[in-house]
Amino acid sequence: MAGNGAIEGDGGKGVKDMGVERIKSIKGIPPEENVLPGTPACAGCGGLLALRHCMKALGQKIVIVNAAGCFTLLTIYPYTPFKNSWLYTAMACAPAGAQGIRDALDILIKKGRLDPDEDLKVVVLTGDGAAYDMSLSSTSGAINRNLDFYYICYDNEAYGNTGVQWSGATPFASKTGTTPPGMIRPMGAELVKKDLFAIWGSHKPPYLATISPAHPVDLINKFKKAEQYNGPKLFIALSPCPPGWGIDTSYTVKLAKLAVDTGVWALKEAVSGDLKHTVVPKRFKPVEEYLQVQGRFAHLFKPVRQEAALNKIQEGVNEYWNRHKLLL
Amino acid sequence: MYRVRFHGRGGQGARVASKVLGTAAFLDGYYAQDFPLYGAERRGAPVAASTRISEDPIMERGVIPEPDIVIVMDETLLQDPLTMPLSGLKPGGIVLINTTHSPAEAKAVYKITAQVITLDITKIGLDMLGMPILSTLAGGVAARIVGLSEDSLKAAVEKVLSEIITDRKLLDKNVAAALYCFNAITPAKIELKTIDTNKKKSTVISLPFEPAEISSPAINATGNTPLRMTGNWRVFRPAWNYEACTRCMICVARCPDGCILVNEDGYPYTDYDNCKGCLICVGECPTNTLGKVMEVHAKKVTG
Repeated sequence: MAGNGAIEGDGGKGVKDMGVERIKSIKGIPPEENVLPGTPACAGCGGLLALRHCMKALGQKIVIVNAAGCFTLLTIYPYTPFKNSWLYTAMACAPAGAQGIRDALDILIKKGRLDPDEDLKVVVLTGDGAAYDMSLSSTSGAINRNLDFYYICYDNEAYGNTGVQWSGATPFASKTGTTPPGMIRPMGAELVKKDLFAIWGSHKPPYLATISPAHPVDLINKFKKAEQYNGPKLFIALSPCPPGWGIDTSYTVKLAKLAVDTGVWALKEAVSGDLKHTVVPKRFKPVEEYLQVQGRFAHLFKPVRQEAALNKIQEGVNEYWNRHKLLL
Repeated sequence: MYRVRFHGRGGQGARVASKVLGTAAFLDGYYAQDFPLYGAERRGAPVAASTRISEDPIMERGVIPEPDIVIVMDETLLQDPLTMPLSGLKPGGIVLINTTHSPAEAKAVYKITAQVITLDITKIGLDMLGMPILSTLAGGVAARIVGLSEDSLKAAVEKVLSEIITDRKLLDKNVAAALYCFNAITPAKIELKTIDTNKKKSTVISLPFEPAEISSPAINATGNTPLRMTGNWRVFRPAWNYEACTRCMICVARCPDGCILVNEDGYPYTDYDNCKGCLICVGECPTNTLGKVMEVHAKKVTG
């Protein structure tokens, strides 16, 4: 079956078509809305902004398999913001649900019960809790089987839906419900954020990218590029979260931009393992600019400035860009 | 026992208001309970929190269906059919509304039979704290209505806020604002006519077992969330001044909810039925096309 890792004549890369139309500016973003307003997502939700652009790029002929998280609340009976089908799964098993749907579609097409033009793209939608922690094993399995699906992780760096607890995506020194800064750990979260991009990359999927709600042109072009490849296509969107990050609702886009401009969030893609950075700031802003506007890092500045923690964060960012020889 | 229910919007501070009241009551020597209504605690979405205060140990648990006092921290909630802040308010109970209306006007506009006290807490918040976060202010008002002491309120605000914020100046501003609100109202006396009993006959409805295609929550409609009308979440609304608009489409690309539409001439406009008032568009607009107006004021102009 096409979706099940059959190696095709092209040597397994699964390239469908080389001609990619890229959009050049914000004016080129497709106008049709595939996520309608009126959802219960928080005002100023960064993840929703990212999803809105992803869905513009994907179109309506898709099925969403949603792992439990904030976005399962988008579709609460009897309401849905989507024009396409949507399936809800538990946190750990969205890729397994995607496998079932992909197989069913393939079988229906093979038996002639579904017109190949009516085929649907299978899209897994998950938060960072599921992507970084709970569904790592089922995701790893699906990538390994070369399942033909899209995987979008809206990463707000904590378990936001349950009131902001620590997740594998929570960065060092962030304050969450389960990592409060105190006498023993004045910096808050002790561990560094997992590198999900590298974890996925080690499975050698055909397409892998990080995206940002503040860079919709880059986001949409990445989806257009990914479209050519058969197999797992993975996207991580850093999604500023007003209640979780302690920011004003109007700051979402500013924060997403700052994350890129300070080098905290590297916008990149890897096509069959070839890594390329798509947006590299000409001059990196100091990470402090990104940290000091967020409530979850306020304890690093007040009442006592935690120099060691701040240095560690900046050094982590410098180390990353030095490794990729892009720090000028 | 006094049962107080706070209604506000996520981010306004209903949860902290209930905690300030509960803590102040405890410091005054009463038994107290305070808790938010868990659910979707979303920024801007209607939320509720409750406080019980009693001279005896409190054995009641769970949400308060029949409050003695209701604090409405956001006026627009009064017209929200899903929230109904005044539901279950006991006859003779007190409702405090955060509004610019006088009590008589509020009674008439919202057809309220209970006793009404009004105070423009949002204005006090903006003036004294510089932001529309009303937690300690609503707590201060509630403490006065219930009849707690000023000292306990002060200590309660200190205690509760020092667990949340590290900014000493902001904390002092909050104490001052809470005390200001405490003294800004003339409390009414609660005149409960009914006997205080919550014991009602329980009614058990037995549901028949249905096959999955009937009993499972499948939605066969597409794209119907706009019916929910999340426009009532707003505290501020984006306001347009088209003289400066260059039709750059940046606001359209920045709206998380897709609430900025484009008209035939290529000019963007806001879908006020569903705009949640996050104001990203106002911050992102490269010209002076977009500004913000407080929702209650905008309503008065446009009706």
